[in-house]
Amino acid sequence: MSMAISVQDIGKQYWRAPRATHENSLRDAIIEGARGLVTRRSEARPSKEGFWALKDVSFGIKHGENVGIIGMNGAGKSTLLKLISRIAAPTTGSIRLVGRVGALLEVGTGFHRELTGRENIFLYGSILGMHRHEIAEKFDAIVEFSEIGDFIDMPVKRYSSGMYVRLAFSVAAHLEPDILLLDEVLAVGDYTFQKKCIDFARRLQTKGSTILLVSHNMFSVKTMCERVIYIKNGRVAFDGPTDEGLHHYERDSYLADAPWFKPEGGRHPVEIREVTIADESGAPKTLFRHGERMRITARYTAAEPIADPHVLFSVTRSDELLCCNFSTMTDRAKLPTLSGEGTIELLTPPLTLTADTYTVSMVVRQRGFERLLAAKVGARFHIEHPVFAPDVFGVFHQPGTWAADPAPHR
Amino acid sequence: MMDSLDALALDAPKHGLTGPRSEPTAMPVTEIVPDHKLVAFDAASVWQYRGLLWVLILRDLKVLYRQTALGACWAIAQPLFTVAIFTVIFGHFAKIPTDGAPYALFAGSAIILWTYFAEAVRRSATGLVTEAELIRKIYFPRLVIPLATVVSPMVDFAIAMVVMLVLMLWYGVVPSWHIVFAIPTLAVTAMLALGVSLWLGPVNVRFRDVKHTLPFLIQIWMYASPIVYAASIVPDSVRWVYALNPMVGLIEAFRFAILGGTGPDVFALAVSVTVASLLLLTGLIFFQRMERSFADII
Repeated sequence: MSMAISVQDIGKQYWRAPRATHENSLRDAIIEGARGLVTRRSEARPSKEGFWALKDVSFGIKHGENVGIIGMNGAGKSTLLKLISRIAAPTTGSIRLVGRVGALLEVGTGFHRELTGRENIFLYGSILGMHRHEIAEKFDAIVEFSEIGDFIDMPVKRYSSGMYVRLAFSVAAHLEPDILLLDEVLAVGDYTFQKKCIDFARRLQTKGSTILLVSHNMFSVKTMCERVIYIKNGRVAFDGPTDEGLHHYERDSYLADAPWFKPEGGRHPVEIREVTIADESGAPKTLFRHGERMRITARYTAAEPIADPHVLFSVTRSDELLCCNFSTMTDRAKLPTLSGEGTIELLTPPLTLTADTYTVSMVVRQRGFERLLAAKVGARFHIEHPVFAPDVFGVFHQPGTWAADPAPHR
Repeated sequence: MMDSLDALALDAPKHGLTGPRSEPTAMPVTEIVPDHKLVAFDAASVWQYRGLLWVLILRDLKVLYRQTALGACWAIAQPLFTVAIFTVIFGHFAKIPTDGAPYALFAGSAIILWTYFAEAVRRSATGLVTEAELIRKIYFPRLVIPLATVVSPMVDFAIAMVVMLVLMLWYGVVPSWHIVFAIPTLAVTAMLALGVSLWLGPVNVRFRDVKHTLPFLIQIWMYASPIVYAASIVPDSVRWVYALNPMVGLIEAFRFAILGGTGPDVFALAVSVTVASLLLLTGLIFFQRMERSFADII
């Protein structure tokens, strides 16, 4: 099979943090320039070194292959997709694409709020590179897939966010490209729509399309891709079978900051050193039976005394669904002031989650919700059960008490 | 329009949901390399996306007057009010000489063309930033944006032109065959607007100062053009400097096309065509040089 995507020694250098807000006016540029005349160049521009968002990245993807790109926040995944989709230009290297490219980096960019769903299908389709007759041909299929129905002639500003996303994805899905680039877009919509999207992507694959998927969602990577490329600090850290790649990623992501966490001024007032999972007796393990209790222990170092901490352990399923939170606030547990080194321990009630893989994340806040101190992705554990699988039994399973009256009252 | 689009469709492989797939050899090949060339004008990719150009023009038209009570009447109201105000102030109070034409027609003929030019430059120079989200997330030849925004104000121009003709009949002035000159004049004005925007647009991506400077610039430019007054009142000693403004020749030519009278200054017109062509050519080079970095800095 020939190559659909060949990436050769790609590098992308940014001269400063992308989209710096304070340097965007002419005045600053003039002042900067004037300063450059007076002081020596090297002194005037210490930040001019720039940083490499991607460096020496090479790989090839064959026609019909589905590949997932994984990595932590800021590792360069999205930059890579921007280069392949021609949105941004590489600093070094070259990329060769064979086939029609469809890129979906954000669902619904290009929609116009004032226009109706019908008008937006034509607008968005054209932006994505479809021809008018092609859109007209697929119009009915797009509307049907989106489940928008009669709302199609209403301005999209009156749509719910779910409808908006469904319509946008439907247009993009019908682009039927040879190479489809997706960035986190499958994480939108409700569960049934997500499933529909994954099915659609599979169908594209059976027709020989190549899909490159950037995702934080290990579940969709696992279901869609047989191969992953793991990007770490702008370089390819692993390229190979999905299971092995996810294993590397999970090992590295243990104790990484949660994807949404932005430390205040880059400082971590509370450093979480370790999160361990054990059974009720305290023996470490990661494979649990349905209905077992779990002991979660976190070891921390507090750089400053934290009075009245609010500690939260969240349990997230492999498809990124937040299943439950254990919080000192809702449990009305008053923890002592955190200072220096110490541990925090939680004994959970019997876990009745269905069989899947889960991640424990830890969040530390101060006094209610005022100040976020730490948010870490912690350890993973698995729940085993022969019957209670998430696709049939949902998130958790507990027995109920039943009654039936053989002769109904009249 | 649609038929020609069909005939010239992309050479991308076509495959239905069930149909067999084309051989990989038939697939379009895209090479992406760092930009080192000084002149890298890629007309083919703009041509491929001409469908998008059309859709963006339609979108601008549909959206412009949506959710307004008066709708497209605004396209009539704005030039009409401007003409009325100018007629009262400059025609009746200041009594500016107009080489014989009624002042309303004299000013109106220039305002139509000027309004088109000003709108085209304003929308086109700021268009890239308006579409920042698109530029950040979707690939398409960026040139499509200034092109579309230079074309879309032509609809307002056409509406204003109809109003102008009605106004002329009201004053009992019947346009002569000279009116055909309005078309090439508009074309050169569009070229000029595009040339200016191709320079200002990329600068605006980097420095938003352009957006704030633009209203001034357009206002000063307006008074430096023979809109409320005739070019004939400009003293001969500075006339050659005055004619370096490319809008001078264009407005005079346009006024001549509509109202007749003495023909336009050939020197001024030659300046207009030359400046418009030069700005357009250099603008295209500059724009294509800058466009690949738009997504990084916008």
